Amino acid sequence: MPLSENQKQRYARQLCMPEIDITGQEKLLSSKVLIIGAGGLGSPAALYLAAAGVGTIGLADGDKVDLSNLQRQILHSTEKLGVKKVDSAAEQLESLNPDVHVIPYPRVLTEENISDLIADYDFVLECTDSFEAKYLINDACVRAKKPFCHGAVIRFFGQMLTYVPEAGPCYRCAFRHAPDEEKAPDAKKLGVIGAVPGVIGCLQALEAIKYLTGTGELLVGRFLSFDGRTMDFEIIELPRDPDCPACGKT
Amino acid sequence: MIEVRFFATLREGRGKVAQLSAEEVSCGGDILRRFSIQQEEVAILLINGFHSKPEDPIKDGDIVALFPPVGGG
Repeated sequence: MPLSENQKQRYARQLCMPEIDITGQEKLLSSKVLIIGAGGLGSPAALYLAAAGVGTIGLADGDKVDLSNLQRQILHSTEKLGVKKVDSAAEQLESLNPDVHVIPYPRVLTEENISDLIADYDFVLECTDSFEAKYLINDACVRAKKPFCHGAVIRFFGQMLTYVPEAGPCYRCAFRHAPDEEKAPDAKKLGVIGAVPGVIGCLQALEAIKYLTGTGELLVGRFLSFDGRTMDFEIIELPRDPDCPACGKT
Repeated sequence: MIEVRFFATLREGRGKVAQLSAEEVSCGGDILRRFSIQQEEVAILLINGFHSKPEDPIKDGDIVALFPPVGGG
């Protein structure tokens, strides 16, 4: 469907870019992105994808808005305390851009339901706050040959890695074994500055936009480590692990 | 010399980079002990860009990078 006059005005700042143009905008409007986790990372990611006109945004999160979320989870607001995060988010995103169809999934992801959930989407953003979920999403996306972008944060630090099937390492290539959740650094205990998931979540949205429009270079095989104290953005090349139990050849 | 690069929370109290004499350490595990890092605090140990184990040998000129598990969202 050709862009309406209203859409030409709404997306004017990106339509004038040769990397996007009308073709790229139409791709975005017909694209489907699943955001798993509507928290610190998922909030900015969802807002920027909705603003850019990604036509369908799935949001999966089983939690309700808690007062302690609002220091960083900017999709939600004080009047939404106690509301399901996916419902709070859907209202906010559809208010931001009525072009966007938001599909809420107010549930915890499991081995049983994740494959069906990701099947309909072009790209997945892994914005969760647990190692168990990160490995679950990685393994399901690898099995389904579904590209996704991993993000994680703690204190002033953030990290990202984008997976594209057959093109680079998966999360399990980089992090073979899930750490002991009891001993691993926990953002609930160690804290996080809200702007740090803001930075990483925005960059996850950018990876999705780049993938969907075929623009630029993704963080495939390139692990991004961010230190907000020093403003260091460092990219470390990571190889595929041929023995990876998720994506390896053996 | 051996260059040790710390990332994320492993930088706290250690800085970004440390230099060690090759005589001081012979494997990745020695580096962890030298900087009082428990094995479970390290999610990725790279020696010259390749995934490595604590028992893998280290030689003069190597670059070792250490990443902790980061799981917040």
